[in-house]
Amino acid sequence: MTDLTPTCAFGEPTPRTHRIGALTLTEDAGLGLASLALRRDAPAPDLTLPGPGEWAATGDVAVFWTGPGQWMVEYPGGADRDVAADLALRAPGCAVTEQTDGFVCIRITGAPPALEALLERLVNLDPRRCGPGTATRTGVHHLSVFVVRPAGDQLAILGPRSAAQTIWHGLDLAATRQARVA
Amino acid sequence: MSRLTGGLIDRSAALSFTFDGRTYQGHPGDTLASALLANDVRLMGRSFKYHRPRGVFSAGSEEPNALVQLRRGARQEPNTRATVAELFDGLHATSQNRVGTLAFDLMAVNDLVAPVLAAGFYYKTFMWPRAFWEKLYEPVIRRAAGLGRLSQLPDPDAYDTGFLHADLLVIGGGAAGLAAALTAARSGARVILADEDFRLGGRLLAERDPLEMPVPDWIAALEAEFASLPNLRVMRRTTIWGTFDHGVHGAVERVSDHLADPGGRVRQTLWRITAKRTILASGATERHIPFADNDRPGIMLSGALRAYANRWAVTPAAHVAIFTNSEEGHRTARDLAAKGVGIAAVIDARPDVPKTEYRTLHGHVTGSRGRLGLRSVQVTAAGRHEWVDCGALGVAGGWNPNIQIASHHRGRPVWDEAAQTFLAGPGGPVGLTVAGAAAGQGSTAQALASGARAAVAALADLGIAAQLPALPVAEDQAPDATPLWHVPGKGRAWVDFQNDVTVKDIALAHQENMRPVEHLKRWTTLGMATDQGKTANVTAIAVMSELTGQPIAATGTTVFRPPYTPVALSVLGGGDTGPQFRPRRLTPTHSWAEAQGAAFTEVGPWMRAQYFPRPGEATWRDSVDREVLAVRAGVGVCDVTTLGKIDVQGADAGAFLDRVYANAMASLKVGMVRYGLMLREDGFVWDDGTCARLAETQYVVTTTTANAGTIYRHMEFCRQCLWPDLDVQLISTTDAWAQLAVAGPRARDLMSRIVDGVDLSNAGFPFMACASLTVCGGLRARLFRISFSGELAYEIAVPARHGAALMARLVEAGADLGATPYGTEALGVLRIEKGHAAGNELNGQTTAQMLGLGRMVNPKKDSIGAVMSRRAGMVADRRVLVGLVPVDPAHSVVAGSHLFAEGAVQDTDHDQGWITSACHSPHLGSAIGLGFLEDGAARMGEVIIAANPLQGQQTALRVTSPHFIDPDGGRLRD
Repeated sequence: MTDLTPTCAFGEPTPRTHRIGALTLTEDAGLGLASLALRRDAPAPDLTLPGPGEWAATGDVAVFWTGPGQWMVEYPGGADRDVAADLALRAPGCAVTEQTDGFVCIRITGAPPALEALLERLVNLDPRRCGPGTATRTGVHHLSVFVVRPAGDQLAILGPRSAAQTIWHGLDLAATRQARVA
Repeated sequence: MSRLTGGLIDRSAALSFTFDGRTYQGHPGDTLASALLANDVRLMGRSFKYHRPRGVFSAGSEEPNALVQLRRGARQEPNTRATVAELFDGLHATSQNRVGTLAFDLMAVNDLVAPVLAAGFYYKTFMWPRAFWEKLYEPVIRRAAGLGRLSQLPDPDAYDTGFLHADLLVIGGGAAGLAAALTAARSGARVILADEDFRLGGRLLAERDPLEMPVPDWIAALEAEFASLPNLRVMRRTTIWGTFDHGVHGAVERVSDHLADPGGRVRQTLWRITAKRTILASGATERHIPFADNDRPGIMLSGALRAYANRWAVTPAAHVAIFTNSEEGHRTARDLAAKGVGIAAVIDARPDVPKTEYRTLHGHVTGSRGRLGLRSVQVTAAGRHEWVDCGALGVAGGWNPNIQIASHHRGRPVWDEAAQTFLAGPGGPVGLTVAGAAAGQGSTAQALASGARAAVAALADLGIAAQLPALPVAEDQAPDATPLWHVPGKGRAWVDFQNDVTVKDIALAHQENMRPVEHLKRWTTLGMATDQGKTANVTAIAVMSELTGQPIAATGTTVFRPPYTPVALSVLGGGDTGPQFRPRRLTPTHSWAEAQGAAFTEVGPWMRAQYFPRPGEATWRDSVDREVLAVRAGVGVCDVTTLGKIDVQGADAGAFLDRVYANAMASLKVGMVRYGLMLREDGFVWDDGTCARLAETQYVVTTTTANAGTIYRHMEFCRQCLWPDLDVQLISTTDAWAQLAVAGPRARDLMSRIVDGVDLSNAGFPFMACASLTVCGGLRARLFRISFSGELAYEIAVPARHGAALMARLVEAGADLGATPYGTEALGVLRIEKGHAAGNELNGQTTAQMLGLGRMVNPKKDSIGAVMSRRAGMVADRRVLVGLVPVDPAHSVVAGSHLFAEGAVQDTDHDQGWITSACHSPHLGSAIGLGFLEDGAARMGEVIIAANPLQGQQTALRVTSPHFIDPDGGRLRD
């Protein structure tokens, strides 16, 4: 184990969290991520690979579609592990790249109507297209992000880690305004 | 007080407001205009050009005259229509565009010299003398123009944005819109109903008993049903101001404009509504009939008089006359009479005047009197003139459908000869249909039925079955149409009140051959400014048609563009200001650098540490010089995470890189790094970076910070579109890894202290080697032996979360070696001293040959830009990168200066190159620069002149090698 102490995406020692009215925003600093891309003639990986726009939990990981022949594999709590090495074992012959610190993951929990009201302010996405089990690459606050909906009462925004402050600002402000008028 | 009985105002509550310093009372439900009329205020503004006294003309968003300033201090808002300003307690309003008081405006002198201020005045007058334009004319005109005034203070309000999606968007909440929304919402479709008013109902609220039941009862029942339908969203105070591609509409919701204090709410929200189908039920705007002196306060649209009486229970005067060419005027007379308003006369232009219970004359209104408000109108009937006393005149000239939004996307309105109106034509927004009065279905019954039918048809298009609802029995008197475009006469007859354009101005435009409608508009300013000619355009087109003898259909219209009504720039901006104005990217060591007191600089969206000041350092130069010398003498550490990193994998990764880079990459050995040069299609240099081969089928390439996004996009384009047959996978890893440069003669000593068990000797890990390894007790890392500074150097990458800790560790572990953090300034100085090209040199106008890298364009293979780089013109460029030092060490070197031979004429023909980069070199103790110079390689030691004509500088520089330190490269290979 390294003796270096990691920092979270906001440069703080602990993950950021904020409860605003009916919504709670939490930085998931423990999420490990690795990308998977199929190679020509590679055998099918030992994973459930969801279709376009979809997210699926499968065993100890969750997978969402990011492009033709491309997926992101989530390792809950795996941020400090070499998840790319693990994925390479599960998907021999595929292109695997560590993405853990490429992204900040902000999880938002709350009742589905509150989450959908928040989405209305943030993302140009038809709520019908971001129900449970979906993942969409789209824009939030001028930044390219993935909007993942693992369950009705859960939302995850994965955006560039370097822009964590900007993404948090956008989410937190929208949630704060929503709480004010609720 | 001029309050009548009835109306949709809440008399149980009083609202206090001020206009031009005087306090008045109104009621909830009032607009500023209705409340002012209720307080006998008819004079509300001054006209734009002649400063003529003006009063309210309409009862809606088409208002040309009653423009006021609302609120005060930083919230002061100019050019707001009093007719749509919802009254609230404490509203502070002032009139605008006046010098002196509203009643005695000194600028009204313009009206006395009106004959010389006619249309085209500016174009003809301010031509001579030429120098007067900037110094005299423009400042004077600018001071006189512009109606209201901005506060010049930062906007204190918050704004929001949002996105909505619907099957059907209904624009307008009048009879047609309500029927459409009801029909659609009952089908289960997702429906949005948007209306600019604060109350649903549209013209239903303005008419007397248009339905078999009281209008408020019907609307209340509808609203109750609407509230029970989760698939319907009703947006009051929301203006759809434009329609864009793919069914996207711009909408502004005025969230708290009607509140004295926003109370933590945003002021307005900009919505982007994506709808599969749209019904435009925006109603119609009444036409007026221009006659001499038709602009006095008190003269207004006949339908507006009805609206004020029926909805707001107010009349502008106790005795009212009506000028009409249809039954519309009589409807107004009857409604007002029913409320007890005296009808002085109805002047009906039609030959067959109906029998009425009030005085009706067949004839025309041909003049008016009353300096600050109407006192009487002149009626000309059968060649006889008569002055009729009245305090207000309603003018009913027919109705123009509000087809602006249907005419976005360059949809051209079509003249309907039977209806004598323009209707929405083909070529407008896809999926949009028009209903109700906007489609020429102007009676209440027609509007209700057409709205419902339009909804059924729109949903059927989407495969959703909707039933026509039972609709109330409604009045069915469609407006008749025998237009009277203007009353001929000698006086000035105003067509466009907001821009002071008269019938005579249109005649002048005709005379000067400004006959096409677009020319007419620009020549006279007709149809411009906040109302966009809603009450003027059609009349003006008709007048021009009369003058040219062409039918109206052949006269044409101007192009309609968003916004439908004015939209504040603040709400378009989305609300983020200051540091959040645009996204910011922070490096992994940002928090650490902040704690060190670093100064930061913007590099695109990134914030990078520029330098790290220490106590006792007076200027930034002191810090930078120290950091540079520390690198040259010991070791420095710099965060270089911002350079783009792209993971390239696949069986054909090498072949792919061979095609995108000018030099060969497939031949690179695993565990080695190569400098890479990328050309654009046209052969110029685009970007540079390093390419490391981590495994047989895996490379990691770097880009410059500025081009990280565009190069990744370009490579994706190449992969997906140019060579889909290649087995290549790409993904950005810029953010995933914190990358730190460790440079200086003691860099190896420092790295050896943190790397886990790897031989870093020159033999074990030579220049341009790379490896995946671990540091600091098992942390996965990538190590590259590359140098930007010209010193022995490494770049070490670790997962970004460990970047700050690694930086702290390196500085701490290397304290005895002189380990010093350095920022972008020192980075720049180091690379200029070494003669490395960066963004300043790669400016899109330089070739590989100019950079001294011509041999990198590998002739043995093809790559993007390679053939074009060999074009005759490119190869003929004799400018090459050189170093430059001032002959007098006290002189500076200024980047951007152009280079000339000593004694040469300093013009474009004799230009020999330019300076790209310059800095102070603490190593040399003088300023240095890099630049491109003709035949530079053969001119070492020659003295040239750097000319900076902007600042009058002429500096003698000596040409040197661009490598100011270690030209043989021994240090980085040691």
